[in-house]
Amino acid sequence: MLNRFSRLSMAAAAAALVLGTAPAGAGGRLSVAQALDPGTWDPIDTFLVDWSKVANNIYDGLIQRGADMRLTPALATSWKVADNGLSIRFELRKGVTFHNGEPFDAQAVKYTFDRLLGTEGGKGPQQSNYNVIERVEVIDDHTVNMVLKKPDPVLLIKLAGYGAMIVPPKYVAEKGDAYFNTHPVGTGPFMLESYEPKVGIKLKANPNFWGGAPKLDGIDFRFIAEPGTEVAELQAGRLDIATLIPLSQIETIKKQANLDVLSVPGPTVVVLRFNTKNGITKDENVRKALIMAVDRDTITKEILLGQAKPIVSFQSEISFGYDPNLKPLPYDPAGAKKLLAAAKVAPGTAVQLDIRGNDSTFREVAQAVAGYLQGVGLKPTVKPYETSVLLNDIIPAGKTGEMFHTQWGGWTFDFDNTAYLMYHTGEKWNPYDSDPKLDALLEKQRSITDQNERLKLLREVGAYVAGRALELPLYNLNTFVGINKRVKGFDLPGDNRYRFLNVTVE
Amino acid sequence: MALFLTKRFLQALFVVFAVTLLVAWAVRLSGDPAIMLTGGAGSVTEQDLVNIRNALGLNRPFHEQYLGFLYGLLHGDLGNSFVGGTPVTQLVAKALPATLMLAAAAIFVSIALAVPLGIRAAIKRGSAEDQAIRIASLAGLSFPNFWLALMMVLVFSILLKWLPPSGFDGPVSLILPAVTAGVINTAANVRLVRTSMLETLSAQYIMVARAKGLAERVVLYKHALRNSAIPLVTYVGIQFGNLVAGLVVIERVFNWPGMGSLAFDAVAGRDYPVLQGVVTVFAILIVSVNLLIDILYGLLDPRIRTE
Amino acid sequence: MRASLLSRHRLLSIELVLGGILLAVMLGGVLLSGWLFPDGGEAMDLRARLLPPFVNAAHPLGTDPLGRDVLARVSTGGWISFSVGFWSVVGGAALGTLAGLVAGYYRGIAETLLMRFADVQLALPFILLAITFAAVVGSSVSLLIVLMIVSQWVQYARVVRGSVLSLREREFIQASRAFGLPDARILFVHVLPNAFSPVLVLMTLNVANNILLESSLTFLGLGVDPLVPSWGGMLADGRTYMQTAWWITVFPGLAIMMTVLGLNLVGDWLRDNLDPTSKLP
Repeated sequence: MLNRFSRLSMAAAAAALVLGTAPAGAGGRLSVAQALDPGTWDPIDTFLVDWSKVANNIYDGLIQRGADMRLTPALATSWKVADNGLSIRFELRKGVTFHNGEPFDAQAVKYTFDRLLGTEGGKGPQQSNYNVIERVEVIDDHTVNMVLKKPDPVLLIKLAGYGAMIVPPKYVAEKGDAYFNTHPVGTGPFMLESYEPKVGIKLKANPNFWGGAPKLDGIDFRFIAEPGTEVAELQAGRLDIATLIPLSQIETIKKQANLDVLSVPGPTVVVLRFNTKNGITKDENVRKALIMAVDRDTITKEILLGQAKPIVSFQSEISFGYDPNLKPLPYDPAGAKKLLAAAKVAPGTAVQLDIRGNDSTFREVAQAVAGYLQGVGLKPTVKPYETSVLLNDIIPAGKTGEMFHTQWGGWTFDFDNTAYLMYHTGEKWNPYDSDPKLDALLEKQRSITDQNERLKLLREVGAYVAGRALELPLYNLNTFVGINKRVKGFDLPGDNRYRFLNVTVE
Repeated sequence: MALFLTKRFLQALFVVFAVTLLVAWAVRLSGDPAIMLTGGAGSVTEQDLVNIRNALGLNRPFHEQYLGFLYGLLHGDLGNSFVGGTPVTQLVAKALPATLMLAAAAIFVSIALAVPLGIRAAIKRGSAEDQAIRIASLAGLSFPNFWLALMMVLVFSILLKWLPPSGFDGPVSLILPAVTAGVINTAANVRLVRTSMLETLSAQYIMVARAKGLAERVVLYKHALRNSAIPLVTYVGIQFGNLVAGLVVIERVFNWPGMGSLAFDAVAGRDYPVLQGVVTVFAILIVSVNLLIDILYGLLDPRIRTE
Repeated sequence: MRASLLSRHRLLSIELVLGGILLAVMLGGVLLSGWLFPDGGEAMDLRARLLPPFVNAAHPLGTDPLGRDVLARVSTGGWISFSVGFWSVVGGAALGTLAGLVAGYYRGIAETLLMRFADVQLALPFILLAITFAAVVGSSVSLLIVLMIVSQWVQYARVVRGSVLSLREREFIQASRAFGLPDARILFVHVLPNAFSPVLVLMTLNVANNILLESSLTFLGLGVDPLVPSWGGMLADGRTYMQTAWWITVFPGLAIMMTVLGLNLVGDWLRDNLDPTSKLP
């Protein structure tokens, strides 16, 4: 062990030397902390945002989405949708090579999607996102045609990340999937330097990047699961960016002169959904009473310190399907009490809130909600679960209490994704409700490509759900990170999928 | 003697076997890793889940999976992590030295504190100083360990900026976690040193040494301490198992990439092979330490063998 | 025979006095909480968030991020800690003592089973057991208590078995057997009282230990309903406020420390006076 330490410190000394003698303008290294080690860097194996924080720098998709959430060309220089949305033709960028020197061409695109949609992809979670793709045809070395089974309005967005990241065919075939998991190779601005499971991953600049070499020499990602520890590292000056900081520590960070907190509107929306099948929440009027009992504006202002906005439907303002004219139920405890009395809900009736035990912010919010419910005479309890248990056993099996925490951060910013999974009959996330009218709306918007028509339908879904009070809408949380002010040129993307191409450190 | 050794060895084997069986059974209660692996992603169908389960080998009956695990264990193979497919042996090979290093450092801290304090308390038996030492060492044991850890970070990393708050970057990052873990074991060790020093000091040969006019320092450190060390060493062995398990919390606060962190992540991610592997390695470790102690005792004290 | 041992030690030591005072204060505060703070520390006021201590008469120890009174929560929060500590130890001691009596007195298969079981138990780290099972059934106070009992009864069993092994060879037990007294009577009337001192010591120390364990598990996110105040929960939830609102964590932290120190001091004194030859840690 000591051996390894001395080697580490020698490496550090060597790095310091290099830094010291580097020519003016050299970018130095950026250190970033994130909670999880995805365990694999293969695009088809993961669904974690923490995968994207790193891998977005290693790989490119055909299309990319910047911090402004606009789609721009990446490995494809242009594309054209044809056949009523049943095929897309991509012109590919020329002269691009993978980090291992392998050329990027139409074969690589075909290989990527064959792999994603084939047996190898079937072992991972990404395949189902892209099942709409029938096949990829190679037209020539730099042109491909993507044939779809049916039109998919969000496919272009999905091509800008995760499973659609382009992988090097020869490398994967030669080295095998297991090796590729831990030795990723892409076409992106940074390439793998070293990966130590559960500890961190180091990337170095790719001087041949097609969009021009990055300004940094490299990036050190560290996996730190305990938010307080991330903040401590940031305060101690050993981190440049802490990506998992508790809301309550924003003030702590801002107090320190060399640190700052970046905050932008994000995709994360939070609601407390109702058990519409059992208990008092079966009654629509009781659900409305519960919504009216909670002062959501005060919660966002006081507890979330303005880092969130109240919502009416289960989506953020930047989501496709958002309706600025949809009005929430008012905060009205007296009215709530009347509704409860009318529904014959006795004072002191128990209401259980199921939450994720390790989410410190939501623990506070849940306690505040419980406080408001007490205010209208109910007897709330809060039951913390381990996140994976709540998500995988309790909710899908319909074993929740009256209310349960659901948080959604669909990176596609399209209400379809959320709404279908939450409200369509038989979906895993909808264990309680079945509403033919809602099902019909959801299915209809999927079958059409006219975006205006879709927008209208999605807004109708939002209004219908709010009318039936299927959930207690809470808020849309900002995306925020703690950052050392020596970092320059970093645009925080709301979806937390960073690209450090233009970042420099002083 | 050979009979005693064989018997103890077989017992140890049985324990490891029982632990692996228990754990293999318990982790499989914790839910479906296939659902976990797909998270909330897209519209995952039941067929997708079945494919993933098959790929992970979870479609086989329990006894087959368990026997497979045992077979692998005998061949030094603990299977592959469900997340990313890294061999568990590889993960353990990195995490175990980290944990052992931390445990060793913690034991070192605790002995370094306990020996002088214990001797002092024994010499000054019954005095205010004796009481103060005992109360202070008990106070060290009376903090929740994560609280102590967070306070250490606040004081030494954030306010004073002397030591790194977390990580695995060389001997300096070992100091905070080792001191935190060490302080908690100090109280018990102080008591042990004190008691055995008291016993030794009243022994005949110490009186003789003193009567011969040897310097008190020589009497204490050369003669008395050497004899008091035996119970301390044995007890530290017993402490070891508890200590290593107690490191889960400390490893998490200090982001120490040890066995505790590995196990905690594995539970959260339903990574059966990793959790099974970690617990099995833990069990083998603890059982071996106990076996070693028993054998040493057996060699030293023939009466125990017949019990 | 114990009396003669007792007389060799000072009965009234500073340890006992200090420990007793600490315990009395903490236990008193907790027992009176229902009367002092009828709302149980649950009354929330978002406009009075994070009031510092010692400035507002209504909130002498300040308020937490939801504007709840810290003093009321610390006082009420002791219930969870004390009940986890108490029930886990009572359960463990009852189970373990019974097993130890049977194993030590009858020996044979019961003893072999117990000892092997103990070995398995010792090779399974408690925290790993706890996080695995909390993941399976969801966390609750009763689960914590059950897990503590399951993982600690063996300690009592080993201690009791040890005492019984030596007691059963003593004249008065041999005599009772010769008289043909029923086994149950011998075990509970003659053996148990003489084997109980180390159990009592172990119980005291384990109450302290389990109060700490409860807080550690809450820290790992496996704790209990956050609405029900508990010291561990207050520490775990308040940890992100350590630098901006120290009072949220310092007071429950002090409460834990004082209680646990009190228990440890009393336990230490008990050990010196009841069980001087103890091999307990």
